[in-house]
Amino acid sequence: MEEGRAYSQDGVLSHLEMLEAQAHALALKHEETEQQEEKLARLKARVQELRLQRDELRAKVDLQQKRLLGKEGVVTSGAPDAAQPSDRAVLEWKMKSVQAMLQVFYLTGISGKLTKHGVCFCISTAYEGTYLDSYYLDLLTKPEVRIRRHSVPVFIPLEQLAKKYLQTDIKRFLSVLSDHLNAYVGRRYQADQLQERFSERLEGALQRNSLCNVLVFNYNTSGKNQTFPFSAKLLYGDLCRSLPTEAVISCTPDAPASLARRTAAHSDVFRRVALHKAFDSISSPEEGLDRAP
Amino acid sequence: MDETVAEYIRRTVLKIPRDEIKSMLQTWGFLSETQLQTLNFHQTKDNISQDVVQLCEDNSADIKQAAVLDIIYNHIYPNKRIWSVYQMNKTGEETDFFDLTDFKKKFKRRLQSALKNVTINFREYEDNAIWIRIAWGTPYKKPNQYKTSYVVYHSQTPYVFISASVLRSTLPLLCQALVVASNYHDIREMELRSHCLNSLKDIVFKRYSQTFQTYYPRPLQERNVAPENVDLRIIQENRSEKERIQRVNREVFGDGPQPKLEFAQYKLETMFKSNPKMDVLDIKEPFRCLVKFSSPHLLESLKSLAPAGLADAPLSPLLTCIPQKARNYFKIRERKGFFPGSFVSP
Repeated sequence: MEEGRAYSQDGVLSHLEMLEAQAHALALKHEETEQQEEKLARLKARVQELRLQRDELRAKVDLQQKRLLGKEGVVTSGAPDAAQPSDRAVLEWKMKSVQAMLQVFYLTGISGKLTKHGVCFCISTAYEGTYLDSYYLDLLTKPEVRIRRHSVPVFIPLEQLAKKYLQTDIKRFLSVLSDHLNAYVGRRYQADQLQERFSERLEGALQRNSLCNVLVFNYNTSGKNQTFPFSAKLLYGDLCRSLPTEAVISCTPDAPASLARRTAAHSDVFRRVALHKAFDSISSPEEGLDRAP
Repeated sequence: MDETVAEYIRRTVLKIPRDEIKSMLQTWGFLSETQLQTLNFHQTKDNISQDVVQLCEDNSADIKQAAVLDIIYNHIYPNKRIWSVYQMNKTGEETDFFDLTDFKKKFKRRLQSALKNVTINFREYEDNAIWIRIAWGTPYKKPNQYKTSYVVYHSQTPYVFISASVLRSTLPLLCQALVVASNYHDIREMELRSHCLNSLKDIVFKRYSQTFQTYYPRPLQERNVAPENVDLRIIQENRSEKERIQRVNREVFGDGPQPKLEFAQYKLETMFKSNPKMDVLDIKEPFRCLVKFSSPHLLESLKSLAPAGLADAPLSPLLTCIPQKARNYFKIRERKGFFPGSFVSP
């Protein structure tokens, strides 16, 4: 008021103006503080809200963790993904089982793979537990089934079999071809084994043909002799079998009668048993008889 | 002993490389071990051959035994002759037992009934191959031992390998005798010729390496991988392209060694297409042209074309189909749906 009295000489109106301005400024200040207080209150409320949310979520996470731990029954180190099997291990297991399945198919003897133009079959052959060669057939399926390439030996009658069965019954074609190949490989294996293991009982080399279905050789029954009184001709009439259909055994005319009597028995053994095993069985009991004068 | 036989033996021994003479004479078996001991293999070949002739004189060799020596020489060095492949056909389905003695008898009888003056020799080998040597004569002349034909036949296969002799007129008679002896119906010449007999066998018997797609790959043989130059300053810009070329090459040619052929011949009877059109060549007639590829080892060189950057991979199927189609002489005509007697694209 002192200031007001000091300036009252200017006039009452200016004094009133001054008072009005002061009141206005005060009012503004008041409003500002009010606004700030409101803001503060709002923010405080927001903080409360967020705090509440955070507490809720935390509670959820704790609950889930407790559930997982409860299932495992084992207290882990607390790392979240050690409990689940890693993706990599699953993939490896899947690959291993698929490879094992393919290996099983391969071991059954006939396996195949789809190619861009058709199918490629692999026929693997075996004889009495020994796995021998594999032969391949690359087939086209459109417009009709035909053989594109193959690695079947030329003396196997592939074209004849294809003409008969390929269009109508592929399963039969493959099974007959597999029989032919297995039998051929079996005959060849027997002849090779005979040549290798009993070379001292054979006169010279075994005479055979490409299909190994005619074998001619001279032999004796004990390795000590230098003569080869027996002469054998084995004919394998059925190309799908690895045992001969005919075994013609003869003896040289100047051989002792005891040996001559054995030809029938030999012929029988050759027809029933695999060649190298047959040699085993006809050799051992003869030792005593050979010495007979 | 006949003068001609002596001369023939002398010339045959002269052909043999000095280091091989002893082993070949041993394989021949005509001279005894003691006789062979008396030979001095360190003198000149002229002298060795004279000594051998002297020993054969002592054993009174005839032309048949001399011919055996010739077969042995040609069996060990088959690549000195050009071999053609013939294919026989039969319509029957029965698979007969192949009887070697029967085959030989029929063959000889057929040839000798047509031509009295022939020398025929047979020799069998471990891999079921039958080698036949024929020396041809005429009704008035004795067989000429220097102009011989050789035939190699594997029993129970439809393929025969014939080394053409100079006397082409004898070929029909030879083919007829083969067909009769092996119980087939007819025979035709395949478009496959080479010096290397074993490679021809590999191609027709399908013994060469082919790649087939399987789930069970055979274990890859350890290839000599040169240690990579691990200099990090060198960057291979087109490594992926190189790998693609290697992969395509391996699919087409396989991993193993290729059969050995010396040439491939393509007879083109196609229309000449050019842009801009040249009046001279714009005739509605095929432009006849012969393209011949020759090399000491044709298929290996084709295999190395793409990796060496000289051609694009994959190579033209006209080149890569050679082993599979078993031919190296081709006739190519215009595409009119199908090519008679020539290459057909799959």
